[in-house]
Amino acid sequence: MPISRRTFAAAAVCALLPLSGCGSGDDGGSSDASGKIEGDITFQTWNLRANFKDYFEGLIADFEKKYPGTEVKWIDQPAEGYADKISADAAGGTLPDVVNVSPDLVAPLAKAGLALDLDKAAGQYRKEYLDGAWASHRIPGMTGTYAFPWYLNTGPLFYNKSLFEEAGLDPDQPPKTYDELFADALELAKKSDGKVATLANVPTVEDFGRYGVQLMNSEGTAFAFNDAKGVELLTKYKELYDAKALDPQALTATPESSGKKFLTGAVAMNPGSALDLGNFKKQAPNLYKNIGITDQITSTGHVNMYVMGVMVNAQTKKKAASVAFAHYVTDAEHQMSFAKKVAIFPSTAGSLDDPYFTKEDGTDETRVRVAAAKSLKNAVNYTPVLFSEQMKTALRNEVAKALQGKESPEEALDNAVKACDTLLQQQG
Amino acid sequence: MASSTVSRARPDSRAPDVPRGRRVRRQLPSSPWLFAAPGLLIISAFILYPFVSTLVNAFTDRRTLIPGEFVGLANFRELLHDDMFWIGLRNSSLYVLGVVPALVILPLLLALLVQKNIPGITFFRSAFYTPVVASIVVVGLIWVWLLDERGLINSLLEAIGVGRIGFLSDQWLLLLSAMAVTVWKGLGYYMIIYLAALANVPRELHEAAAVDGAGAIRRFVTVTVPAVRSTMALVGALSSVAAFKVFSEVYLMAGPSGGPAGEDTTLVMLVQRTGTGLTGRVGYASAISVVVFVVTVALMLLVLRADRRGEA
Repeated sequence: MPISRRTFAAAAVCALLPLSGCGSGDDGGSSDASGKIEGDITFQTWNLRANFKDYFEGLIADFEKKYPGTEVKWIDQPAEGYADKISADAAGGTLPDVVNVSPDLVAPLAKAGLALDLDKAAGQYRKEYLDGAWASHRIPGMTGTYAFPWYLNTGPLFYNKSLFEEAGLDPDQPPKTYDELFADALELAKKSDGKVATLANVPTVEDFGRYGVQLMNSEGTAFAFNDAKGVELLTKYKELYDAKALDPQALTATPESSGKKFLTGAVAMNPGSALDLGNFKKQAPNLYKNIGITDQITSTGHVNMYVMGVMVNAQTKKKAASVAFAHYVTDAEHQMSFAKKVAIFPSTAGSLDDPYFTKEDGTDETRVRVAAAKSLKNAVNYTPVLFSEQMKTALRNEVAKALQGKESPEEALDNAVKACDTLLQQQG
Repeated sequence: MASSTVSRARPDSRAPDVPRGRRVRRQLPSSPWLFAAPGLLIISAFILYPFVSTLVNAFTDRRTLIPGEFVGLANFRELLHDDMFWIGLRNSSLYVLGVVPALVILPLLLALLVQKNIPGITFFRSAFYTPVVASIVVVGLIWVWLLDERGLINSLLEAIGVGRIGFLSDQWLLLLSAMAVTVWKGLGYYMIIYLAALANVPRELHEAAAVDGAGAIRRFVTVTVPAVRSTMALVGALSSVAAFKVFSEVYLMAGPSGGPAGEDTTLVMLVQRTGTGLTGRVGYASAISVVVFVVTVALMLLVLRADRRGEA
């Protein structure tokens, strides 16, 4: 039978139509998560399989045993490009039922109706978590909470004691505030004739927060880090850059590249996590012998807290099972057992009072853990929930212009705030 | 006999002797379409649909998770006032100017070097081709390591008293370094194309020129270059399109922010940065993609037209 042109065109359109549905942003539907906990669900984590395969397989097996008729398929994605993977899944309608997220990833998903409002669907669990942690997945301009809080971290700051000693600085008195950091960094650069920088990264929005700069207005509708305090911080960083106390390649650095600089002794201080100690031991034994561990630099008395969450896909067909599993992963018992496997901290109420987080046994690992747990109690998540990747790039580029002297710190921050506000408005 | 049986069974004067098992059935009008359907479907899904979709999106304010609405030429008007777009256009254009002449000329010289069949030449041909097959990520990382402030090249420069050079921290040196990597990686590929072209240049022409007293350089200019001129145009067209669309080398060497203050951003990097992620501006990124498409088509036409004019 001959195929007419019209039939062929219709067939082609039919074949392509499903693709054009990408990102159509259906509404999230009901928040009702009641009903029998059963069915197959998918659970996506963020680069956890390599180190915690057994933990998650055990966790899933226990859940399936507790709720017969459920089956959890575990997907783990690499750290690199995680946000892109989520956005591709979200746009393609293949977002897993339960997803490991950070607050800045939740915001656009919630706005697109893809994150379940847990205040409505799982409000009964709210009291199990620290208030601040539960609030961390709220989105300015929206009502509701869009992910269960999972683990928290502050991350220590490592420093190279021998470089401090060579510069005549006391290796047992690392800088604690930004003012102390700037003074020590200039001294280190001067004594090493510009060969040893103290930092390898330009200031981020979290640095502005820890310096005491107000990041957004009180309504959360516009950025405000171009105030006098912000200008002061950037001016100090310019001084560091000119004195080579900030690595010359800081303007293009990534966390990986600055970590390598620290490993090779080109940089005296670098933020990290307790997991890095193992790397230092293996890759740079001399550095490991001289490693100093201190808290994040802060002038506000509050360190930055990184928050992880577990979100439920608002469009899942298995809401009851998904909510139950997300809660199961993040409840006090399982957060505690996960915390004992890795240097993270539970977001559940009362967990940080466990002796595991309060008593040292003399090793570096426990010292880092106890110090971090202590600092967590008044830590602040300085990363604005609505601060997107595009905004990070805008700020970074303007900071670079100021450091290079192409713009004054005032101009640079005004431009950065303007660009971020425009992006914020475009987000809707 | 089988043939006569067939003739009796089906008196078809056009194929009286074809055995039953081998007889070709009458072709249906739809048959060509059925054969072409798998290919057409693949082309439609992975080439035509994304292309048309990009064109359509360029006129919308679509974002990653939000369909958006028709905004007419708003995205293109915004491009005119976007400093980063002009930086991207400048860098992509500079990349064409810096890379294309080198990729047209150097592989030809390399091909002339390795053209002769002398002992061990296969090794050199393979060696020059190796960068082509190496992963661009590996290549990028190696060159970042070499050009780092504390890398091998800077250590050597310091040892001979030149001092360290900020290959990866200076806006222009970074772009030049990325261009050098592109040329280094592309030499072998275009060398192979030239080797095929050189094999077709009649030896008699060289011999006649030599008899007339032409030296090696004169023979190159008067015999080799005219003979491979069309290949040079092809290499020019291919390399200019690739250079204008450069992403990996600059991304790996300049970092995701596109060098200091984003000054090394190319247009394709801008498309990636603007249009991806959960808050990506797909509509705006599509508008930049349309500009990239128009410029690359123009580049192709320009090079091919120049070649045709040269032939006339």
